[in-house]
Amino acid sequence: MEWFLDPFALGFQQRALAGGILAGLMTAVVGTWLVLRGMSFFGDAFVHGIVPGVAAAVVFDINPLLGAAAAALVMVLAIELVNRQTALGEDTSIGLLFVGMLALGVIIISRVDSYSGSLTTILFGDALGVTSQDLIIQAVLAVVVISAATLFYRPLLALSFNADKAQLWGLNPKRAHAALLVLIAAAVIGSFQSVGTLLVFGLLVGPPATAALVSRTVPRMMLTAAIISVFSVWIGLTLSYHLNTAGSATMAIVPIVLFFIVLAFTRLRTHRRERVLSHA
Amino acid sequence: MPNVVVGHNVVITRGSQIAIAASDFTIPQGKITAIIGPNGSGKSTLLHAIAGLLPVSSGTLTVLDETPVASQPRISYVLQYTTVPTGTPLTVAEAVAMARYPGLGLFGRPSREDKKYVTSAMERLKITDLAKRHLTELSGGQRQRVYVAQGIAQDHAILLLDEPLTGLDITSAKTIDSIIHEEPDRGCSVVLTTHDLEEARAADHVILTAGRVVAFGKPQDVLTTENLTNAYGLGSLHEHQSTDLILPAEHHLGDHSH
Repeated sequence: MEWFLDPFALGFQQRALAGGILAGLMTAVVGTWLVLRGMSFFGDAFVHGIVPGVAAAVVFDINPLLGAAAAALVMVLAIELVNRQTALGEDTSIGLLFVGMLALGVIIISRVDSYSGSLTTILFGDALGVTSQDLIIQAVLAVVVISAATLFYRPLLALSFNADKAQLWGLNPKRAHAALLVLIAAAVIGSFQSVGTLLVFGLLVGPPATAALVSRTVPRMMLTAAIISVFSVWIGLTLSYHLNTAGSATMAIVPIVLFFIVLAFTRLRTHRRERVLSHA
Repeated sequence: MPNVVVGHNVVITRGSQIAIAASDFTIPQGKITAIIGPNGSGKSTLLHAIAGLLPVSSGTLTVLDETPVASQPRISYVLQYTTVPTGTPLTVAEAVAMARYPGLGLFGRPSREDKKYVTSAMERLKITDLAKRHLTELSGGQRQRVYVAQGIAQDHAILLLDEPLTGLDITSAKTIDSIIHEEPDRGCSVVLTTHDLEEARAADHVILTAGRVVAFGKPQDVLTTENLTNAYGLGSLHEHQSTDLILPAEHHLGDHSH
């Protein structure tokens, strides 16, 4: 029992757990729609796209959340601009902004004396450095994100089914898509301080992708993803304590490992069923 | 006979390409209309424009005496089953029930009447026994039946179907075909696209497309050797990119009195 309790005996460890759980809940709900809409590449690019905003916040000593929000806005507007002004595919516009924003972030942060330390904190987070104030902001964002995801459930489900059908059902797919982008931004901004910009992507995609393997409805997929996220955060921090590894990275790798375990299990189950049917 | 759709000098573009050059056409109320033409002739484009999903570049298109967008609440559109991704975890019953979203808004709970519409649509398409199955667990024909059930479960005055019978098993094709023929008796106008000449001949009204509306009217008047040679022999007329391309009057065979 001590093995499980020791990692969370101190205040900063408990805050790391709370911050991770809040990040996990937000990303599970938003990540479900991200995976269903086939927007994982956008999610990957997006979490890197906020790096220059956070870097500028470090350089100019302003709130990193504001910097991240400004960078997120620039990222989305620039992707839309390329999409509307050219016949290039959306993946190209996302790729352009992905590299451009990440490079800009590294350039900005390279002007800081503690270059490598700052960059590492932005990319990989500082789970054990989460403050009570960070937790309050995260909790507010989590309530907003989960409430908005519930409010937009039908438009987002219709959009995932087919944008034309959503339009004909009066569920404005463009507005639903814009709402999803805002939700992704809010979830990423609310999570990056705990798990870092790079690793928040692991929580955005890993738990929902794993949940998709075993869920038959979207609400169940969200619930399963949330459970996997919370488990990943808890077991990740526990392992990180005992193995003396980076907390954020250990949290992020757990859902990916879980995905392959669940995938192997489900394939094995399907294979067994097919064998039983072929012998019947 | 009143018309539910009236197009006058309608030009529809997709990007920089003209998909349908200046065309006139009508679609009668309470009848089955088949849109037929070669690949890339603008059949689905026309269906999209009627549904209000694609704006007309010039000319006027009236659907149920309104603009296509304004009439969307009274249009049900069944897309080709191959164009709908199956990645969303949905059961058959949930997919059909989504058709009631327009009246429910964001939070409204389905009423007894909503549930009756869904149950009836599933019974008519013979998919009640599949209700709890996931969309990915269905064959192409079964999925098409689900999407048609979704189409008729929605309140509608016009039912649009994009190649509803293409590539289906016999059971699914027969079931959907019977629905197509039942809908006019319920006061609904049916518009479908097809590649099958026999299917078009069985319709009440036909629109022949080849980058424009070559002819429209009764099947026996439209599906003549001359018109078919004109449409299929000439192939697509997309090379004519002028928006003022209008066919000579004698090529329009429809009942122009509507």
